[in-house]
Amino acid sequence: MQKKAVLAAGFQQTKAAGRRRFKPAVWHQTILYLVLGLFVFLTVAPILFTLFSSFKNNAQILGGFWSLPKPLQLENYAIAFSAVWRYTANTVVYSVVGSVLVVLLSAVSGYTFAKKDFLGKEVLFLMMLAIMMIPGVLTLIPSYVLYSDLGLINTPWVIIISAAAGGQIFGTFLCRSFMGGLSNELFDSAKIDGASEYTVFVKIVIPLTVPVLMTLFIMSSVGIYNDYIWPLLTIKSNEIQMIGVGLTQFKNQFGISDMGVEFAAYMISSIPLVVLFSFGMKYYIQGLTQGALKI
Amino acid sequence: MRKVIFILMLMAAFLLAVQPVLAEPLWKMGKELTINSLSVSEDGTNVAAGTQDATAVLLDKDGAVTYEYAAKNVVTGVSLLASGQMLVASDDQTVSLIGSDGKPVWSKNMKKLVKLLSATADGQVIAVSLFRSNAVLLLDMQGEIVKEIPVGIDITSMQVSAGGEWIAAGGADQYLYLYNREGQLVSKASVTGGINEVAVSGDGITVVGTTENTAVAFDSSGKKLSEIAAKDVITSVHITKDAGYIAYADYSGNYYIGNLSGRELWTAKEAGAGRQIRFSPDGKSLYAASDKGAVFRYDVGHLLQSGEKAAARKRAVQIGAVVAGFAILIGFLIWVKTYKPHIPKRLWKDKYAYFMLLPSFTLIFLFLYYPSFSGLYHSLYKWNPGGRSEFVGLANFQRMLGDPYVAKGSFNLLILIVTGLFKTLVPPLLVAELIYHLRNKRAQYLFRTSFVISMVIPSVGFLLVWQDLYDPNMGLINKTLEAIGLGSLSHPWLGDSKTALWAIIFMGFPFVGIMQLLVMYSGLIAIPEEVIEAVRMDGARPMRIIRSIHLPLLSGQFKLLIVLALIGIVQDFGSILIVTGGGPMDSTYVPALQMYYAATKFSDLGYASALGVSMFLVILLITVLNMKFIKSAE
Repeated sequence: MQKKAVLAAGFQQTKAAGRRRFKPAVWHQTILYLVLGLFVFLTVAPILFTLFSSFKNNAQILGGFWSLPKPLQLENYAIAFSAVWRYTANTVVYSVVGSVLVVLLSAVSGYTFAKKDFLGKEVLFLMMLAIMMIPGVLTLIPSYVLYSDLGLINTPWVIIISAAAGGQIFGTFLCRSFMGGLSNELFDSAKIDGASEYTVFVKIVIPLTVPVLMTLFIMSSVGIYNDYIWPLLTIKSNEIQMIGVGLTQFKNQFGISDMGVEFAAYMISSIPLVVLFSFGMKYYIQGLTQGALKI
Repeated sequence: MRKVIFILMLMAAFLLAVQPVLAEPLWKMGKELTINSLSVSEDGTNVAAGTQDATAVLLDKDGAVTYEYAAKNVVTGVSLLASGQMLVASDDQTVSLIGSDGKPVWSKNMKKLVKLLSATADGQVIAVSLFRSNAVLLLDMQGEIVKEIPVGIDITSMQVSAGGEWIAAGGADQYLYLYNREGQLVSKASVTGGINEVAVSGDGITVVGTTENTAVAFDSSGKKLSEIAAKDVITSVHITKDAGYIAYADYSGNYYIGNLSGRELWTAKEAGAGRQIRFSPDGKSLYAASDKGAVFRYDVGHLLQSGEKAAARKRAVQIGAVVAGFAILIGFLIWVKTYKPHIPKRLWKDKYAYFMLLPSFTLIFLFLYYPSFSGLYHSLYKWNPGGRSEFVGLANFQRMLGDPYVAKGSFNLLILIVTGLFKTLVPPLLVAELIYHLRNKRAQYLFRTSFVISMVIPSVGFLLVWQDLYDPNMGLINKTLEAIGLGSLSHPWLGDSKTALWAIIFMGFPFVGIMQLLVMYSGLIAIPEEVIEAVRMDGARPMRIIRSIHLPLLSGQFKLLIVLALIGIVQDFGSILIVTGGGPMDSTYVPALQMYYAATKFSDLGYASALGVSMFLVILLITVLNMKFIKSAE
């Protein structure tokens, strides 16, 4: 009951107006703003600090942490870019390919579980549910051995396949519950008009599910983008390494000797996430709240 | 049905019967020390071994010691000559010629540690290399230097071909240098990874054993011929005179024979790490030595046969498995047809549904279920992927109880859990309440989203930034403390074992997790207004409303966040690995980190699996308890 209410409210609070009729004193609200402002500042302070410092050289950074970078050390970005663009590009490719696979697998399985009736449906669904109980630490080492036996170690596939296999579980849940809410009459009428199963799925189900699929795509991309342990374990060549491991290597290389360059690298590695969030923040927030509540 | 069980039992018996047995060593020295060098006599019966114990030992064909020559320091190289004499190089800075009676004929002081020695059986070419001399020296039978071949880089390994036509040297610059008898550079080949040993055949074909677990073969012009992968860093390689076979040993104690087409023909595992592997000059025997002071002898013909047999056996088992699989399937189908005739019809009718689930479930079974069961199973083994795994029962779990890192890690984990629960509940709730009490809707939205901004930096970058903030000399935190006159409080936060764990806990201050915030906030706005309105009519103050209405109604959200936090904290070791690596000393270890190190640093996969299984059980317990509580609450 409560869950449903949460979902209904979502993030467009339509009925919030007039919730509180009595007026607290103005200073009351001011304090709220101040305290929240402090929280926001403390939360984003490390990022602001990184941004400022990325335009400075060591002397400027130590001269004043919060001073404006004058003159701008733009060559920091040139140096950092040449070192981390490869990792960033690799990671973007893995994230996109992995997430597309996650979305495809989840949409198909979610639809099957939501709208099809077949023998063993409950058992199969339970098997999927049970996967959620298995923590990553248990499978980390055996997975490494498995991928290595399959000859996939040190190839992009080791990242993409593991992301697709793991990500589709959550995705199937999300798609199943959303697609379960779609009206059956719609499908039936389409079928009466002669549409095939495939047409129904591609022309009706997918368009109606786009918001959920977007959510899934963004959550999966962020997850793959932030992956660290798995690529550290499975990828040895620098040419196909991911950004997380790349940044730690980069830091060991430049480290304290050239902090501005180091910070510029962090900012460069944030660009794909900035792009992703600038159009998908809404979906990401939806995924976090709805998805979390469903599990 | 009974037939199927019978077949399965037969297969199990077959599998048990084919387990290989460790070979008896030909000879074992008194101490478990490394054998640095082996040299086999021309006829393949006698073998000389140079040891870490500062001795050069000559063994006869039965493994009995003919004589033992004591050097003044570690013996780095031995070479048996056709005359029955033996050359010995040692870290006591000498090269000596030992007569067949075991007494030195001459001993030359080279002024530096003699690191490498290789000679032809007739003694025509004797090559040595001194510590950090970046050159190969050719000696005559009296020990006088006749020629110096400058390589220009530190040499990690060097060998003369049996006929003396070639001298191959492996450089620290990951290049293989091939010289002819006159000392002219014939070719130079780039090798991936560090070179541990080189070997060269009569026609100039070289093999390099690398730190990248490969044995790479080159022809005399430096063109790469083939590459064979081993299971670990290759410590020693050898090639027969006619280049028909190559032998290599790895650090896990696996010994192999392969050929130039890159095929592995035979492999076996002995105790300890492999140190040296040598064919006899006629290529009929193979000698190997370990870091546990054991010398093994194998008959090459026999090995190749057994290698073929092993391959055939593997094939037979595979075929057997397929046949058994079919038998089970057919048996099952007959059973279904007899007792449940409607099932096949139903299955056929639903075929599209199964077809649609096929990709998902293939991935699930292969990449999620299989590793889980593999982990559970191998936690009972001394796991050696690709090789032979040894059943050890609960020894891995027992060892865990006595592991000081696990004990320290568990204690740290407890601290992380307690603080983690605080971090996951209190700050997000506080912020959610603050936002909830804002009157301006636009401001609510802005504040909510501004906390998402912290997501745009990759999580590794975020951790590295925090690491910089903690830097003792140049970090923001210490500089700020100094600036506000609290310089005495500045501290190497991550470098001091007393503060390191707390510094890790403090990372991410003020701990407004975006998921926690959003879950709590949506919980708050889902509370029906009538309820709050009613209480407010009765004159309740905001604090009272929070305590009596909000907190009880958010209990579902709390439970969810608590269980997610617990599962996350037990598993997370990435941040610790990045920021401190578990140090200083053991101050920031957690069990998951110890698992990672067990697997990666110590190749102790069985133990790592046992740690993984234990954490799985803890997480299972948490989940079950949580479900129970949620049920009882509802």
